[in-house]
Amino acid sequence: MTQPIAAPASATPEADTSEEKRLGLWLTLPAQLLVLFIALFPICMQIYISLTDWSPLDGIPWYRAYELWIGLLNYVDLAGDPRFWSALWRTCIVMAICVPVQFFLGLGLAILFVDDFPGKRVLYSTLLVPMMVVPAVAGYMFFMLFQSGGPVNDLLSLFAGRPVTIAWLSDPDLALFAVIVSDIWQWTPLMFLILLAGMVSVPQDQQMAAVLLGASWTRRFFTIVLPRMKTIIIIAIAIRVIENFKVFDNFYIMTGGGPGVATETISIYIYKVTQQELIWGYVAAIALAILIVLSIVSALAINKMKGAK
Amino acid sequence: MASISFRNVTKRFGETLALDDVSFDIRDNAFFCLFGPPLSGKSTILKLILGLEQPDAGEILIDGRPVSNVSPAKRNVAMVFQNLALFPHMSALDNVRFPLVERGIDAATIRARVSDVSDKLHIGHILHKPPAQLSGGERQRVAIARALVRDPVAYLMDDPISALDARLREETRVELRRIQQDMGKTLVYVTHDQEEAMSVADGMAVLESGRVRQIGTPEELYRHPNSTYVASMLGAPAMNVVPMALAARMQLGAGPAGAASLGVRPENLRVARGPGARIAEVEPLGGFTTLTLDLEGTQMRATLRGQPQFTAGEDVTLRVDEGRAHFFDGAGQALA
Amino acid sequence: MTRITLENLGRDFGEFTALANMDLTIADGEFVALLGPSGCGKSTTMNMIAGMLEPSHGEIRFDGRNMNGVPMAKRGVGFVFQNYAIFTHMSVRDNLAYGLKAQGVGRAEIARRVGEIAELLQLSPLLDRRAAGLSVNILQRLAIGRSAVVEPSIFLMDEPLSNVDAAFRAVMRSELKGLQRQFKQTMVYVTHDQLEAMTMADRIAVMDHGKLLQVGTPLEVYNHPADTFVARFIGAPGMNLLPGRVTGGDGAPVIDLGAAGHSGALRLEQTGDILFGFRPEEVVPDANGPLAMQVTAAERIGPRIILHLAAGDHRAKVVLDGETPAPQQGETFRFSVPERSVRLFDAQTERAL
Repeated sequence: MTQPIAAPASATPEADTSEEKRLGLWLTLPAQLLVLFIALFPICMQIYISLTDWSPLDGIPWYRAYELWIGLLNYVDLAGDPRFWSALWRTCIVMAICVPVQFFLGLGLAILFVDDFPGKRVLYSTLLVPMMVVPAVAGYMFFMLFQSGGPVNDLLSLFAGRPVTIAWLSDPDLALFAVIVSDIWQWTPLMFLILLAGMVSVPQDQQMAAVLLGASWTRRFFTIVLPRMKTIIIIAIAIRVIENFKVFDNFYIMTGGGPGVATETISIYIYKVTQQELIWGYVAAIALAILIVLSIVSALAINKMKGAK
Repeated sequence: MASISFRNVTKRFGETLALDDVSFDIRDNAFFCLFGPPLSGKSTILKLILGLEQPDAGEILIDGRPVSNVSPAKRNVAMVFQNLALFPHMSALDNVRFPLVERGIDAATIRARVSDVSDKLHIGHILHKPPAQLSGGERQRVAIARALVRDPVAYLMDDPISALDARLREETRVELRRIQQDMGKTLVYVTHDQEEAMSVADGMAVLESGRVRQIGTPEELYRHPNSTYVASMLGAPAMNVVPMALAARMQLGAGPAGAASLGVRPENLRVARGPGARIAEVEPLGGFTTLTLDLEGTQMRATLRGQPQFTAGEDVTLRVDEGRAHFFDGAGQALA
Repeated sequence: MTRITLENLGRDFGEFTALANMDLTIADGEFVALLGPSGCGKSTTMNMIAGMLEPSHGEIRFDGRNMNGVPMAKRGVGFVFQNYAIFTHMSVRDNLAYGLKAQGVGRAEIARRVGEIAELLQLSPLLDRRAAGLSVNILQRLAIGRSAVVEPSIFLMDEPLSNVDAAFRAVMRSELKGLQRQFKQTMVYVTHDQLEAMTMADRIAVMDHGKLLQVGTPLEVYNHPADTFVARFIGAPGMNLLPGRVTGGDGAPVIDLGAAGHSGALRLEQTGDILFGFRPEEVVPDANGPLAMQVTAAERIGPRIILHLAAGDHRAKVVLDGETPAPQQGETFRFSVPERSVRLFDAQTERAL
């Protein structure tokens, strides 16, 4: 019956000639140079400043910062700066809690929303609201909510049956908890949105085929839906990891990094050093260190994504 | 009005040899079909005619003049794309007018040209509609009108009707043929459907991996294929090509010297009850019937007119119509 | 290995009736094609058999068991999708094993059955390839294998050849048919291509606008179409239908076809307006024939010639043998239609007489 048949070669687009590629390069060169300049200039400047002890109060313009050349001293200081390490560690903790919680909440919501149910549209719009709130405003909102005489304590009092007056924002551990809650509130919707987009794009007929082959919901989810969402999951997590590293507005407004340094993340630390201590050479060194860490995260994510394809 | 000629044209894309020493002549006003499987070089030929690609070797002539230094815009060759590429936000009329308006031609001339083209294509009554409201065939005609309105010397079509369903394809190809005859311009037409190619073309070239295997009228190619390749590409079911050893079983002589295989078109195989081959399958299609035969382990197909009463498992004797056997040498080349 | 019974089956989508009152019994091991243009209700019917869609009314029975409300995973149907729905992120082996794993079949058993089906479908050398990027005929075999390995009692196929090149379709057709013979499952095959239905099916169910118009073997629907839609839809080209009027009194009635001439003498009971039908292949060129029409186009396609004819408002097509001398475009073609080839239809109801 089935004789082996010469397979029709799949129609591949014919390769561009090298001439066309060269022309393309020339035409886009100005734009590429501009992008390169925009991206590279601040980094080069940052590297340069980080090797000096320059501060805007020194009275010399930044390009003459070489007069205050100190070599790698800023980096040596940084390595021995306990406040830097604690801020970095705290940022990692925030990230390690926020990203998984946001991911699983977002995934759960996406599973819920991939099918139709009454009231879906209204609920959908409501869920996206936090994302559209200006982070500073969200910060103030949570600042109010977590006051010792605020709604959170009122609610708890109602359940407890006696007045509760937890000092959310002045207890070091609880303050960290409070800022994490605000971050989760604000950014779970983004995770949800990205994951929903990914879930909707999983081909319907493949899911149908799996059902017809007798696959249960769980099997279908883990063998068809999740594997096909791999790329988008990596993107979503990478975005949130990077964003979490830079978290600032609502944290700063709720606690100012305090009490003490209990909620001081890396961004808040940089801000304080910049604005309050004005040692910009040192700031440049910190920023560069962070850039390197984030670049490694991005590279890993991109690498994973290539693997997924 | 133009003839188009390729002289020993070779074209590479990187490592891939897309066209290998291709030569042919398309005479003025011809409906010329490029026919072959995917990646056989059909689309590359169109790109070279349009001037979107330059040959690595050889020469292309339009109306007898080499065009290697003529830009695509100056060649005045029009193209109808496979997806038609109509502008969905414009009416059919604005689509047709578009090439002229772009060239800043005066309104009176535009009106005259558009009405001339739309008369010939029978689209006058649908010009006010947007493409979304037109049927597949109508959209096709609007796309052709847009290509022809600027009076090109020739126009090209890349597999324009393969997306239509079977019934509509049968109607559309006749319509295309009529349009080409009425418009009287050279049309170079790419298809991978042999029935379509034979139906529409005055002349055709059969291509295989960048090489022209045979050029001629559809009838010449069908009746006198120069190789087993061309023989197998035209006709459905395809020509039976069997070892010469089976010739005697079809009451044929030894054939010309050097004959290695024998080719018989399914419709040239006569079938009568008697010993010889066994019927493996009967496919009654109404107007004709296709038999699948087993001749000493070799599968053959025969097409009979009408609805003859054969059943699977019967033994039949085979005979080939007088003068309708094809002979091929060991390399698959036809022998006279 | 299941008999399918559809009884008074129907499906509405709001105001729109996708399928109205379908009755059809498909025998155990039979290959039935649901044939019709897009929107005729064929896919709706199939989706209801598969359980992807609940009927608005009527019943689906497998071997007498009512299937209404039975979830699709429990119906034991194999489904081959139009684009095959292969799990492209998995290997060929994992695709084939998917259904068995889902049913909790043991490891050794899975390996054995996957090996068997791969051998049968000549997929063995490809087992460890990723399914992405395989050619279309291999994807088709893989889709069939993936469904067949769980041994469904019913196979459903939704236009599996519509994305395949014309040149390749013939090969795929015969392959498909061969496979169905081997598996011996009851097969329901949805297509809009009458050639696919004619070449593969044991019986064809012709549908249009949500209605089942005729069920029969390929030759039954070709030779005795129940109405003008079936007459036109089956055959390539379809049947010619010329409106005419019975004249000539009791002695020798003929159908007057106006500009095209007349039918020639027929034995007729009918009177008045009538549709005169004949197959393009059954026309006899006849210099003294009662019919004459002008040739508007002549297509020569290998062994046959298709003449496109016109006379007044009448249009007709004729298929001639490539060997017979054919008239040129613009000439008049005279012909007759043998009486046994004439099919008559009621001018109002368009039903066969």
